[in-house]
Amino acid sequence: MTSLYSSTFLPTNPLHTTLTRPATKLYAKSLQPPARIQSVLQYNRKPELSGETPRVVVITSGKGGVGKTTTTANVGLSLARLGFSVVAIDADVGLRNLDLLLGLENRVNYTVVEVLNGDCRLDQALVRDKRWSNFELLCISKPRSKLPLGFGGKALVWLVDALKDRQEGCPDFILIDCPAGIDAGFITAITPANEAVLVTTPDITALRDADRVTGLLECDGIRDIKMIVNRVRTDLIRGEDMMSVLDVQEMLGLALLGVIPEDSEVIRSTNRGFPLVLNKPPTLAGLAFEQAAWRLVEQDSMKAVMVEEEPKKKGFFSFFGG
Amino acid sequence: MASSSLQLHHPISIPVKSSPTSIFMLGFFIATTVLIVAVRVYVARKSSYKRAGSVADLVRRGQLNSGRGISKPVMYDDPFNNPQVKISKNNSTVEMCGKVYKLAPVTLTREEQDIHQKRRSRAYQWKRPTIFLKEGDPIPSDVDPDTVRWIPANHPFATTINDITEDLAQKNVYQKHGVPFRIQAEHEALQKKLEALQSDQKLNNMVIDPGTARNFERPFKSNSKLDDEQVEQKSTNGQTGSRPESQPNSHSSSTSEEKQTL
Repeated sequence: MTSLYSSTFLPTNPLHTTLTRPATKLYAKSLQPPARIQSVLQYNRKPELSGETPRVVVITSGKGGVGKTTTTANVGLSLARLGFSVVAIDADVGLRNLDLLLGLENRVNYTVVEVLNGDCRLDQALVRDKRWSNFELLCISKPRSKLPLGFGGKALVWLVDALKDRQEGCPDFILIDCPAGIDAGFITAITPANEAVLVTTPDITALRDADRVTGLLECDGIRDIKMIVNRVRTDLIRGEDMMSVLDVQEMLGLALLGVIPEDSEVIRSTNRGFPLVLNKPPTLAGLAFEQAAWRLVEQDSMKAVMVEEEPKKKGFFSFFGG
Repeated sequence: MASSSLQLHHPISIPVKSSPTSIFMLGFFIATTVLIVAVRVYVARKSSYKRAGSVADLVRRGQLNSGRGISKPVMYDDPFNNPQVKISKNNSTVEMCGKVYKLAPVTLTREEQDIHQKRRSRAYQWKRPTIFLKEGDPIPSDVDPDTVRWIPANHPFATTINDITEDLAQKNVYQKHGVPFRIQAEHEALQKKLEALQSDQKLNNMVIDPGTARNFERPFKSNSKLDDEQVEQKSTNGQTGSRPESQPNSHSSSTSEEKQTL
C-alpha cells in the first residue's frame, strides 16, 4: 500500500490513499485509479521508532510566541506516553519557561551552567517528571545567570554525547526548545541537532521568519525539516481572513508534521502547568499534538489536512436533542 | 388433607399450583433487587474514583503512573484509533471532538520541495559562527572574520568570559560519578585551611603548654620560700619563650585538647 502525491487530484475527486510505511512511490497519473484521502492514520498500534537514536530534534521558529515551548512540552510528553525515553532541553537562556509549562519550576535546582562549572553532575541537573518517569527536563541556565559562549555550541554537543553514554541508557529523543530569533542562543541550540521542527502560524510575519530560519538550518546542514502550523482557525480560513495550511505549505515548501487548531485550553494548561496532551478527555489541540508526535516517531508527514468545519448534519432525532 | 399436612411440614413451600402471574411478579422483584444492588455498587465505585485525593483519582488524573498495580491500568490511548476521531465512509470528512471537518490532500511534491531549497540556498548564505568575541576584542589571525559573532558587553544573557577552561568544562559534563569538581575543590581548600589552623594551634600549644612543664618540676617541699625561688629560677631559665598571656593560652590549649579528643 502506498501514498500518492498529485496536484491534479482535486478534493472533489477524493483520492484513495492507503499508507503503511513512510516511504512513498509516485504512480503514473494516467494509469492508476484515484486514491482516497486519509489524513488520520487508522493504525491501532504503537508507532515504530525510525532513524538512529538518539533523535536530536530542535524545535524552532524564528518569530517568538508562535508556540515552540508549547509544542516541545506537548510533543515531548506525547512521546513519553508512547513509551519512548525523552530528554527535553530548554535552550532559551534569557526567557526560560519550559519548566513552567511542565509544572516543574519548583524542582529545577541545577542547570547546564552549574554542570559546566563543576557545581553538580549532569544527572543531578536532570529533572525527572513524576507523571511520566521516562521524561526528563534540562534547563540551560537560570534567568539571572549568563551563558558562557566561549565554547559556542560545543557545550550542547558534549551534553548530547554524555546523555548517550549515561548509565540509564541512551534516550530515544532529545528535544531542544530553541529561543526565538537567530541570535547566539539560536546558533547554540541548533548545533547538536540532526533534524528540526519548524513551528509557525498562518500569518505573513511568522512565515517570513520561518523561511529565513529554514534557510539558516539548511546552511548549517540540517536537511530533515518538518513544519507544524499552529493556532489554525478554520472559521477564519473559510472567511478567507487567514491563509490555509496548504497556502502556508506552498509558501514554505516544507513537509507537514502537524496542524494544531486554536484552542483556549492551551492557556489554561499553561497556567496550571499541566500539558494539554494529559487532559482527559483530550481536546482537539491535544489530539493534534499526539498525532504530530506519532508522525515524528515514524518520520512521516501529513498526507491530507482539515480545511474547514462543516455544519453538523442533524438526524431525525435531532428534534429530541440527539 | 395430604396437601395441608405437606404445608404443615414445609411451611415455606409454595403451593405447587400457583398462578403464572405470581411467579412472574416474584421474578420481577428479584430482578429489580439485583439491579438496584448492582447500580448501587457501580455508583459507589464511581464515587470512590472521583473522591479527591484518592490514589485512583491520582491515577485517573495522570499524576501517578498506573503501572503500580494498585488500580486498573490505563489502556493505551491510540491517537489514531480514538473514539473521538471518526472518519467518514468516503474519507472526505473527519469528525474530531464533535466537530466535522472537510479533508483536502496535501499537494506539495518532491520537486517543489527541491525548488524551495534551491531558492533558500541562493537567498540565505550563512556561515556558522565559530568564535564569540566581546566587542572590542581583536580577531585572532587564524580565524575567518565572517565566522566571528560579536557579543556586546551588556548582553542580557550571554557572555564571552569563561571562568574555567574548555577542557575542564567538558570533563565536568562527562563526569558520571563522585563529587563534582568545584565542590571537591572547595572542600579540599576548606580542609587545607582547617589543617593549617590546627597546625598553628598545635605550635602554640607546644611552646606554652604548662602540662609538659609540670613533668619536669620537682616534688613539692615544705620550705615554701625555697620552692618559690626554684620556680622563679626555672621560669627564668627553662621557659625562655613563655608569653605574657600564658594563662589564657593554657586555658585555650586545654580546650583545644578537649576539642581534638572529641
